[in-house]
Amino acid sequence: MTEGKGLVDEYFEKPKWTRTWSRIPVKSVYRASDLMDADYEQDVNDPGEYPFTRGIFSEMYRGRLWTRREVSGHSSPAASNRRLKYLMEQGVTGLNIIGDLPTQLIIDSDHPFAVNEVGVQGTPLATLDDMMILTQGIPMDEVSFTFSAFTPVMAFYIAAAKKRGISPGKLRGTIINDTIHYRYCFGYKFPLDLGVRLGVDSIGYSINHMPLWYPFSVECYDLREHGIDAVQELAFGFAIAFCLIDECVKKGYQVDDIASKIAFTMGVHIDIFEEAAKFRAARRFWAKTLKEKYGATSNKALHFKFHSNTSGCQTVRQQPLNNIIRIAYSALAAVMGGTQSMQTVSFDEPIALPTEESARIAVRTQQILAYETGVTRVADPLGGSYYVENLTNEIENRTSDLLAKIDDMGGILKAIETQWIDNQLAEAAYNYQKEVESGDRIIVGRNAFIISEKEERKTKVHKKDNRSIKSHMTKLQKVREKRDKKKLRNAIDKLYEKSKSGEENLIPGMVEAALAHATIGEIMGTIRLAYGYSYDPFGMIETPFEGMEQ
Amino acid sequence: MLERRIRVLFGKVGLDSHYRGVQVLSMMLRDAGMEVIYTGLFQTPETIVHTALQEDVDILGLSFLSGEHLVYTEQVINLLKEKGLGDLPVLVGGVMPKEDIPKLKEIGACEVFRADTPMDDIINYIEEAVKERSPEITSVSN
Repeated sequence: MTEGKGLVDEYFEKPKWTRTWSRIPVKSVYRASDLMDADYEQDVNDPGEYPFTRGIFSEMYRGRLWTRREVSGHSSPAASNRRLKYLMEQGVTGLNIIGDLPTQLIIDSDHPFAVNEVGVQGTPLATLDDMMILTQGIPMDEVSFTFSAFTPVMAFYIAAAKKRGISPGKLRGTIINDTIHYRYCFGYKFPLDLGVRLGVDSIGYSINHMPLWYPFSVECYDLREHGIDAVQELAFGFAIAFCLIDECVKKGYQVDDIASKIAFTMGVHIDIFEEAAKFRAARRFWAKTLKEKYGATSNKALHFKFHSNTSGCQTVRQQPLNNIIRIAYSALAAVMGGTQSMQTVSFDEPIALPTEESARIAVRTQQILAYETGVTRVADPLGGSYYVENLTNEIENRTSDLLAKIDDMGGILKAIETQWIDNQLAEAAYNYQKEVESGDRIIVGRNAFIISEKEERKTKVHKKDNRSIKSHMTKLQKVREKRDKKKLRNAIDKLYEKSKSGEENLIPGMVEAALAHATIGEIMGTIRLAYGYSYDPFGMIETPFEGMEQ
Repeated sequence: MLERRIRVLFGKVGLDSHYRGVQVLSMMLRDAGMEVIYTGLFQTPETIVHTALQEDVDILGLSFLSGEHLVYTEQVINLLKEKGLGDLPVLVGGVMPKEDIPKLKEIGACEVFRADTPMDDIINYIEEAVKERSPEITSVSN
């Protein structure tokens, strides 16, 4: 460290921290002897060959670059539609919309608790009408669309396609839809039985009707942002995925079909070799488990499919332009780890929502990586590195051990119910903070190489667009007034019955309700009631449908 | 005079569900010998002020990462004044632009700590602020 030490000390400075950032001990050098036991074909193999350690495609980026997918969404569906078109002009190749907080919490924009939060962190999607505005002028049957949102939004998207005469079979994209990790990101305890049902039904519906759609993306990113390490990220994520596979199998779906539909949203941090090794380990572990434990045979099922998101919690408020460098290194790690899709966060992440400029720099970061650095030329450039192969093995072994521990507890649902996961997250966040406060973990600008607040650059800040939000609220009011009440009630009654029976797939009923202009809160609330939960997760409002009260 | 520990109330108002910061800070303050009462998520200004009254706290901290710090801080502070707790120091923390710091102070926040503030700075500030208001209170446990 620099402060208070002489030049001689600095000249001979050695890094204090010698483990990986996930605290895995590593040696100062790795040799051929460290990989003596490895069998190339069995353990590593070529890209595109089982167990896919080196990548799921033989040519990797020569065959197809990763999808550059910047997240957007604010103010209103109309404003977000304009931002999507702007990003398309800037060269993004996949669209990525994040719902605002009420949408993520699956409540309406005019819920008493939502008032101040509409259009702040994302875009409001309260009805099919909002989805129509959001996708206006965007060829839904051509683009790949990702939603950071839950099952009713998938129903809105399918309904919007149907309204435009596009078959759901043509829709390409992903919805996060992970209602199992939900409580760790959105705070309230989304009922686990309901979460499993929505996950299973989304997967089931997509197996039958949406060949190009990923209806469930395990949200490892959100979990990682709590402060857990790379191994915990993999183990918790896999535990969620395996739970879903088990539940889908119980419903009679085939493992090859199920696993083909599950994707992962991964975090990616700045420890370049560890992160690249993490993705390599994840591919091998997924393929081997699917094949050996579940008997999957199709490549699509054996492929570990993931989007990566550079870490938001790793960006630093102080000297924020430095974040551009952090994000670039993380993005490099994701690409060397063979990511299929990526979102790079904006450098102003720890300050405010992204501005047009910071969002553009985030896209440019990926473009420089893709077109200038040359990393795309050769698949798995780190393959065969004594260190990275070794670290890949280490991460895989540790993940396997931790998963076995979760299995012993009775699986992920038990680990959540007993708050074991909560404690793991809290402990991780606490330990991380201690390491930062003590200076063991050096974070430039944060606990080292600090400048005074006065010297800090003024950052342009994205402003909330109140006019646009107001217009969204007026539109929602109009939708409520103008919709055919009889048709709506009919759809809601059917949805209630189907939810109660537990047999039929819920997605068609949700799409029908969406087409009858039911709101996101009404759709979710009705299903909640059928399951015996309160209509409103916050207990503030009752169902507007007479005779359906608890 | 009987010595007692500093009692801190942390609250999250509205739908913002980013709780990592406030959770870690709570643990750190406990390590520093303070008593921390955390409301949990999804509070309203009313429930926060109600808890402040019930728990007889020395300082209130509000955490925001959703961009709604100005609206909610004002609502909480106005309600505190209404309930006769106008002198309770109110700290604001989280993710917010620098230009909002003077605005928050104008509303009545005693101090603003943005993300990535060293924990020691926050601990020291709380100790000083509470000492100024009630000199008999200490942060040393036992």
